[in-house]
Amino acid sequence: MLRRTFLGLLGAGGISAVLGKAAHAAGNKHFEGYPGSFGVLFDATRCIGCRRCEAGCNKVNNLPPPPEPFDDLSVLNTKRRTHAWTYTVVNRYDNIPGAKGPVFRKNQCQHCLEPACASACFVKAFTKTPQGGVIWDGSVCVGCRYCMIACPFDIPTFEYDQVLAPRIMKCTLCNPQITSGQLTVPGCVGACPVEALVYGKRSDLINIARSRISAFPNLYLNHIYGEHEMGGTNWLYVSGVPFRNIGMREDLGVTPAPELTSGALAAVPLVAGLWPVLLLGIYAVNKRKDQVADQEKQEAVARAIARAQAEAKDTLDKALAKADENTKKAIEREVKKALEEAAKAPAEEEGE
Amino acid sequence: MEKGRPLLRWAGFLLVFVAISFMCLEAQGEKEPVKAPEAPRPDLVIIDTMAAQGKLELPPAMFSHDKHTDALAKEKKGCETCHLVENGKLSLAYMRTKATNPAALKDIYHANCIGCHQKDVAAGKESGPLDGFCRDCHNAKPPQALRLDAGLGKVLHYRHLASKDIPAYNAEKDNCGVCHHEYDKEKKKTFYAKGKETSCSYCHLEKEKKGVMSIKQAAHQQCVLCHLDLAKKGVKEPVPVRCEDCHGAKGLAQVAKRNQEVVAKLPNQEVPRLMRGQPDAVLITYKVKNGEEKGAKPITETPVPFDHKAHEKYSDSCQACHHAGMDACDKCHTLGGAKEGDFVTFEQSMHLKSGKFSCVGCHAAKQTQPKCSGCHHVIVETGQPEKAACKLCHLPSQTPGQLAGLSTEGKNALAEGMLKARNMHPGSYPANDIPEKATIKELSDKYLPVELKHREHVLELMKGMKDSPLANYFHSDPGTMCQGCHHNSPPSKTPPTCMSCHPKQVGKASFDAREANRPGLLAAQHGQCMSCHKYMAEKPVATACTECHKEKK
Repeated sequence: MLRRTFLGLLGAGGISAVLGKAAHAAGNKHFEGYPGSFGVLFDATRCIGCRRCEAGCNKVNNLPPPPEPFDDLSVLNTKRRTHAWTYTVVNRYDNIPGAKGPVFRKNQCQHCLEPACASACFVKAFTKTPQGGVIWDGSVCVGCRYCMIACPFDIPTFEYDQVLAPRIMKCTLCNPQITSGQLTVPGCVGACPVEALVYGKRSDLINIARSRISAFPNLYLNHIYGEHEMGGTNWLYVSGVPFRNIGMREDLGVTPAPELTSGALAAVPLVAGLWPVLLLGIYAVNKRKDQVADQEKQEAVARAIARAQAEAKDTLDKALAKADENTKKAIEREVKKALEEAAKAPAEEEGE
Repeated sequence: MEKGRPLLRWAGFLLVFVAISFMCLEAQGEKEPVKAPEAPRPDLVIIDTMAAQGKLELPPAMFSHDKHTDALAKEKKGCETCHLVENGKLSLAYMRTKATNPAALKDIYHANCIGCHQKDVAAGKESGPLDGFCRDCHNAKPPQALRLDAGLGKVLHYRHLASKDIPAYNAEKDNCGVCHHEYDKEKKKTFYAKGKETSCSYCHLEKEKKGVMSIKQAAHQQCVLCHLDLAKKGVKEPVPVRCEDCHGAKGLAQVAKRNQEVVAKLPNQEVPRLMRGQPDAVLITYKVKNGEEKGAKPITETPVPFDHKAHEKYSDSCQACHHAGMDACDKCHTLGGAKEGDFVTFEQSMHLKSGKFSCVGCHAAKQTQPKCSGCHHVIVETGQPEKAACKLCHLPSQTPGQLAGLSTEGKNALAEGMLKARNMHPGSYPANDIPEKATIKELSDKYLPVELKHREHVLELMKGMKDSPLANYFHSDPGTMCQGCHHNSPPSKTPPTCMSCHPKQVGKASFDAREANRPGLLAAQHGQCMSCHKYMAEKPVATACTECHKEKK
């Protein structure tokens, strides 16, 4: 490719990138979650680490029985994560400065207002329901597991032991059970003996969290985890100790995951749609130029040949004509000569 | 080949660069073996005298005072090695008696510190950094220094007062005047004023001000020099002179141990009251200041009789309440708030729950001890005292108007009478009226109903407040203590049950924001028992279900 062509393309690319951004900024939509969506408030100052929530979850979701029974609290000695057979786990955190005794934290899907898993899924297998839960649709899933990589909370899990129809497994906020009327609150919430979990409208939960913090300012940190983290989640947390001390990420920021990728993804149609046209066009133009040049060359050559041939013919004709003439002249001369000799001879004969 | 030469040169540069990078990375990787972090040292002095006078060329020098004292002591050398003596008084500054300019200071430190080290090295002894080892002293990252507050509590004060090693001051009967003094502005001299002793920190502030030494300077001048004299005399009682002895954890533990021994020998195990003319009881009234009559809201509440004598016993020093001076509270804390009182009003100075020196603040701090925290940690922190408790301090008496004519003595006598008339016994219903058992059965499902040993719980709580007059007095109404569990309803012999207010519903947020913190019955009952047990007894643990609930068979 010519240098000039390359620079031209670079310029075109730059302009399209800028235009893409500007268009996005002009959109400027800020999603604050579905109004009236439900969530759960977890209170780390109340949780006693009894694992009843795990048992409740297991029961309502018909999950397989765990290797250790739910009343075996020795499993809390290790830090656990969610699995294909456990949608939720409680972990114990010891020796936290300023805390009286251990602090427990329940982990499960946070049900982001704008879920990273859903934005990473290219077949739209995840749905953020207006009720609050993020649910998975197995009928379209292709099993790429991008959702598991996208989730900042490491929540979606995969049934590695299922060969034919493995599923993505994660907490649904008991969306199917609640919408069908089987349950009024999620399984874990209904099983909590100390109301460390409260189910309600997200907006109400934020008010509850605030009222707890203001009623007991010495008992709580003035922060509701999930109010803004990753653009906000339907699962909210309040705690008396810093959230990093109970295994929660404090580096996530407040930008929802889809917004992080929307810029790059918005460029995809542009790149996929516009660039082939552009490149093909350039190719076609170049090709056409070559073709035209070729044609012109051929024509010129033909012309030159024709001219040369004509000239050659002319010369030949002239030469032939000249030769003819010469021949004629020679014949005439010879004839003349012969005639002169013939005329001379009788004279000599007469003269003798 | 002409073209290949520069290419070769660049390749060479790159190779060298990569090699150096690797070496640097290696060097970084090879860190010193990780040592256990050194305990913070009480004797580490950062010499930054020059910092106040200009920019420093190097980081301030660090100096281990105890290390030097100990090393010198081994050679039978004393403080005079480094501190000059002027008019028989040891200067606290290093090798000088007066403040001087940075250039001179630099010379003093360099010449004397390094000079001494050099002498030691020449004599073949172990010594400190020499000339050229600048960063050994001028360390940008010195070890952590931690000087704990030496403190002069009631007992330690008594030990000084009762010490035979400190003789009586001049013609006085006691030795108060050895330390306590006032300043005569005209004569520019300190003098002792009997009965006017105060805390050092009233005049000697955190930083030197208007030529008055800082508390640090004053304490070292007063305490250390005296201790050195006593140590020289060789008195029986150990006199602390090293930094560690007063500012280190070890030294302070030693002092505390000796304090305990002394108290144990005293009659009633009590330090005698310090008398400087204070009353036994005070009627806390507000003296309206000039110009305050207009605009300010008059105090309508009845005045509080304050048991000054009893509170002296509960506090470690006068500063527990008189934090900035021995004057009455209303001198700085005015009705509308004044600059002298940091704009803390008279009312706030008594009632601020977060206050360190206010009545309510101090009482609230006492509630954090395990004996009290079972009930008191759940009481909503409104920042205000309990409303029901107002009348326990503001006893019914005459209005401020009626008291206006009384003299101070008259008021105090009135206060004493009021205090004596109080009921200082914790209120309790007769044991037979306290139900022996309470059966909690409303939600019984997986387990059998819980048989709560109700009377046992009540009596145990009563036992906990036996030794505290504060607890006794504030729980004098028999219903008060019941409210630890039977909360949020007026005190009564027959309080409502949990179910009266807490619905059976589980885990559902209330639609009414005012009800937001009202848990369901299950959580209310568990919360009430568990939080109390967590704060007071630490057993049974919250997850030991079967310690309270019997399993259904």
